[in-house]
Amino acid sequence: MATVTVLRNPGTTATLDEYDAGPFFCELIGDRQNPNPDLTRLWHRLQQMELADLAARSSDAERELFMLGITFTVYSERNAIDRILPFDVIPRVITARDWAILDAGIKQRVKALNLFIWDVYHDRKIFKDGVVPADLVFQNSNFRPEMVDYDPPAGTYVHISGTDIIRDEHGRFFVLEDNSRTPSGVSYVVENRHLIQRAFPDLMEGFAVEPVSDYGYRLANKLTEVAPPVLTDAQIVLLSPGVFNSAYFEHIFLAREMGVPLVEGRDLFVEKDRVFMKTVAGPTPVHVIYRRLNDDFLDPECFNKDSMLGVPGLMRAVRKGNVTLANAVGTGVADDKAVYAYVPRIIRYYLGEDPILPNVETHICREPQALAYTLDNLDKLVVKPVGESGGYGICVGPKATRNELDECAERLKKDPSNYIAQPMISLSVCPTLVGDAVEPRHVDLRPFAVTGKETWVLPGGLTRVALPKGSIVVNSSQGGGTKDTWVLRGDSR
Amino acid sequence: LTATLLSRHAECAFWLARYLERAESMARILEAQASFQRGRPGDDGWAWIIALYSDWENFNKKYTEASAANVIAYYVTWLDNPGSIQATIRAARENARALRPLISTDMWAQINDFYSRILALGESDFSENRLSRSCDMIKRGCYAEIGVAENTLYRDESWPFFRLGLFIERADQTSRLLDVQFAQRATRGTQDKTSEQQASLWNALLRSASAYHSYRRAHLSGFNPNDVARFLIFDTRLPRSIAFCTGEIQRMVGKLRSEFRLRNAQRAYEHVERLQADLRARGENEKLLDELHGFNDWVQRELIALTSELGRSFFGHQPEPKDEAPEIPLPPRPGMAASGQTQSQTQG
Repeated sequence: MATVTVLRNPGTTATLDEYDAGPFFCELIGDRQNPNPDLTRLWHRLQQMELADLAARSSDAERELFMLGITFTVYSERNAIDRILPFDVIPRVITARDWAILDAGIKQRVKALNLFIWDVYHDRKIFKDGVVPADLVFQNSNFRPEMVDYDPPAGTYVHISGTDIIRDEHGRFFVLEDNSRTPSGVSYVVENRHLIQRAFPDLMEGFAVEPVSDYGYRLANKLTEVAPPVLTDAQIVLLSPGVFNSAYFEHIFLAREMGVPLVEGRDLFVEKDRVFMKTVAGPTPVHVIYRRLNDDFLDPECFNKDSMLGVPGLMRAVRKGNVTLANAVGTGVADDKAVYAYVPRIIRYYLGEDPILPNVETHICREPQALAYTLDNLDKLVVKPVGESGGYGICVGPKATRNELDECAERLKKDPSNYIAQPMISLSVCPTLVGDAVEPRHVDLRPFAVTGKETWVLPGGLTRVALPKGSIVVNSSQGGGTKDTWVLRGDSR
Repeated sequence: LTATLLSRHAECAFWLARYLERAESMARILEAQASFQRGRPGDDGWAWIIALYSDWENFNKKYTEASAANVIAYYVTWLDNPGSIQATIRAARENARALRPLISTDMWAQINDFYSRILALGESDFSENRLSRSCDMIKRGCYAEIGVAENTLYRDESWPFFRLGLFIERADQTSRLLDVQFAQRATRGTQDKTSEQQASLWNALLRSASAYHSYRRAHLSGFNPNDVARFLIFDTRLPRSIAFCTGEIQRMVGKLRSEFRLRNAQRAYEHVERLQADLRARGENEKLLDELHGFNDWVQRELIALTSELGRSFFGHQPEPKDEAPEIPLPPRPGMAASGQTQSQTQG
């Protein structure tokens, strides 16, 4: 049996020799008290690889991504600049036991959110029962009166969802955010896997990893389940804003994987409340639209009147039941920051169950007790305005000056309903190739769930990694990269 | 099985092929010109390329002299010339991007790789010593993309549209080449008196259509202008002849009509049938060589009319005649497609 040292040239650095996860939970080490044999095996396999070799193969892999056009595109006046999302070759591994928790938790959450949205647009019971404040939803710009009393097939509003999940220093999972509108990133899940299989077959050999490459097929089947009743096969299309959209690659990917036409608004029209696409053979009926276009742009007759990207009359066709939109219009009421805080209660209200995946502890400042707690512990909490996105108006207590804390307290007292407060969470880390070294970097996880009549969760999801040292911002605009995400089968070995 | 090829995608397939063929022709012409010019004093011979594409006005915006270096820069790297190789390949790639959901990954990867090599071309790549090699790289890049399409493109309706773009562009290029070379012969005739000089002109013309050796096999004795012209127009075995192209065009429109049963294909098919019959009839004309300019003018007008017909029948264009590339983000469309062709050869 060859030992590690024999396999290496003397004088070269082994991959994980200097790796130190510090106080954080490491995804590759896992539970230190109760080590998982597969994680240990992968650790040793990585350890046997030479850093220089790993780095060389990694840059080959990134070049390949570029040539395959697995890119997002930044347009300037004269040029279309294609960029790849940085890809890290060291996979993030989820054990079978952990995945069972995630899978059940996400299904539970999606189910509750669909029931909640149905209630919002029908009986409004949860508001009458005082569980969720009505103004949170009905004064929210994402509430769409056009959807009142509309019954989507199978009661499903959120067909495709992406749930952002993090792990604290003990390895416990928490939901950070629900994405119930048009979540993106699933193409990287599949393409990253293909890349690993091509470039690092030796890394994966012998591990029983759940497949991800049937996502498109599964998605098409789920969307067929919610098609309006039609005589022949339902025609699904993917509606994209077009080549200028930074996620255009993903739209291409999904259309190809599903085997459906990738259309733009100008390719569709509505006649007698039915949707058609313009083909070389003339108008062809369309039954399900997986739209990657925000509500605002979908139908200039109802929403943004200046939208050139949408299809006039689309909402009439929807309300007549002639076409199904995935996701439905008006799901934004369910993934709002303020509503997020109520999701555990929403789960209990509709399902009578405790949430399997907890929220990050959230203090809803409109509630007097929570406000008092927040004001007392400002220096330990992150205070976020609910109506803002992109990180505006956030006060990070542990890093704020006395002055900033005082200002934050003032704002809180003035308009408590506009704020939530959460403790600082330390994200888990994963060994990541950074230049010529392997170092811990913070990661999150976005699993994708697809719902027709029932929910199916793609095993794994998008692992985003914050590449700058110490950063916990995983967004691609701020130096985030991605990793292949392996869900191990229970019978692995 | 119902057709699901979007009109927009059909048009992109059509223009993807046209742009590839256009870039290839450009590389071919530059290379042929360079080898023709070798061993001749001065470089006055480059001006005819500008005439070939009716580009004097645009060319003079940047250059005053039709020197080898200027003409090459204008047709290879100048992005403000929508007919330059860089602009053309960029347009091809943008069409491929719009078509990405339908074409193979290999096709997309190939054009991505090709485009990055085109972008890397600099002035030094077109020095006297390296021009030939660079043109060869460009030709091969175009061949490769067309070859990958041949090998991997799913044979739904997009295939005939891709082929139609290819052969309409090729017929147009061959017709232009003929027209300008014969116009040149009229003016040059006074300078190049010897039959040797005359022969080298035919030699260059045939080589720029990759037809020299085929011609030699078909015509064992010398260069007869009439034979050269007829070879490039009517020989149905020569892949760049006009008749070969119109034959392919007829086959592809026939495919749309019979195999895919597109309801609008009948009108387009009748159009092509008429074109074929006219072409044959014109072949009977023994004075064709004397009326060559009029003939080429007719060919180009017919190709424009056919493109408009495809636009109306399949691409969802409005009934008024219109010949434009689809709306793609970058770059502006080559003037050749719209204004260039209609200007015909008046400046040549």
